[in-house]
Amino acid sequence: MTRTRWNALTAIMLLVGIAWIWINRLPADSAASANGLPPAPAVGHPAPDFTLTTLTGEAFTLSTLRGTPVVLNFWATWCPPCRAELPELEAAGRQYAGQIAIIGVNQAEARADVQAFAGEMGLTFPMPLDEQTQVSRLYGVRSLPTTFFIDRGGVIRQIQVGPVTEATLAQLLRTIR
Amino acid sequence: MLPVVQLGPLSIQAYLLVLLLSAWAGLAIGAWAAQRLGLDGNHIYNAGLYGLLAGLVAGRAGHVIAFWSAYRAQPVEIIGLNTRAFLLWPGIVVGLMVAGWYVRRHKLPWGPVLDAAAPGALVGIAIADLGALLAGRALGAPTTAPWAVTVWGVARHPSQVYETLAALTVLAVTLRMLGTRGRPGSVAWVGLLGYGLSRWLLEPFRAESTSILGGLRVPQLLGLAAALIALWALRGNVLADD
Repeated sequence: MTRTRWNALTAIMLLVGIAWIWINRLPADSAASANGLPPAPAVGHPAPDFTLTTLTGEAFTLSTLRGTPVVLNFWATWCPPCRAELPELEAAGRQYAGQIAIIGVNQAEARADVQAFAGEMGLTFPMPLDEQTQVSRLYGVRSLPTTFFIDRGGVIRQIQVGPVTEATLAQLLRTIR
Repeated sequence: MLPVVQLGPLSIQAYLLVLLLSAWAGLAIGAWAAQRLGLDGNHIYNAGLYGLLAGLVAGRAGHVIAFWSAYRAQPVEIIGLNTRAFLLWPGIVVGLMVAGWYVRRHKLPWGPVLDAAAPGALVGIAIADLGALLAGRALGAPTTAPWAVTVWGVARHPSQVYETLAALTVLAVTLRMLGTRGRPGSVAWVGLLGYGLSRWLLEPFRAESTSILGGLRVPQLLGLAAALIALWALRGNVLADD
């Protein structure tokens, strides 16, 4: 191959390369990428909506939090890693009060038990009670804890299976803030 | 979808096991290729293992530095088992540096070492791509193509399969080249050229990518840059053989 042909090949690769990259650029608004997708417990999909009664007896509907980033945690009192991470969620809830909503869905436990546990741990964020586990099933939660990080547009950005630490929570919150 | 594997109190995401498998397979193929090139395969294993371990340590160190305010309150988490508490790029850079240090220290010839590493890396990439498909990671862009796979009610490109096939194609080319006695280093450059082009070509079939400058996909930019560098490096080979 001659030098001229080789240089031409390189130049063509550069030009075609840049053109293909330009054609395939992503829309600036990342929430637009979820337009038209069905709600599903998967990254990039709108978070499935649900309504449950919280520990304090109020009705909680996820979609009413649209416009606020949401950390949707599934937990139970019998689960040691949940007990380890709940104080981190409480701390983040206090630190980002009004900016991020921390929601702890309790899986199928008696209200009195959850009440006693939350009091003992000093947990103050909303705790919807998933008594029939229908929301856990809606979200395909197979092990506890599992946490969904939902952005302002109601789109799931990260799914964490297993507990968060203060550091990994800070990292994950960056994806939705 | 790959399930979560429960080992007593440890729940391990199967995707991590796939990544371990891909690292092991990559090292094994790299060592085998090194033997064919007249090197000691154990050197490839050692360089790879030192690189992996150093990469893990550096990835965690990067995370500790980036989130120091969190670690200051819980220093025990610096050595915690949380699999998310790693930064990718510090790990990759330091891992490669330590592997390179091993090669220099043992005065191994760079060309054949990289020629042996290339097919190993491509095998690892192919396995990791298949793992991503099974774990439902790196989802493809929505499509109406007849070969689409349906994930959560959306027909998508099986982009992980495209990437696996591309890696296997480049692997086949590098393996063929191992048999022919070309210039040392040319197998590695061809591997980089092929892999770079495959990322550049196939990244748009993914639903999401890291992007900069108003939506340009970073893996495409890096892939094209790698391909151009490799083309430049191969220039001497082709022109000289004329």
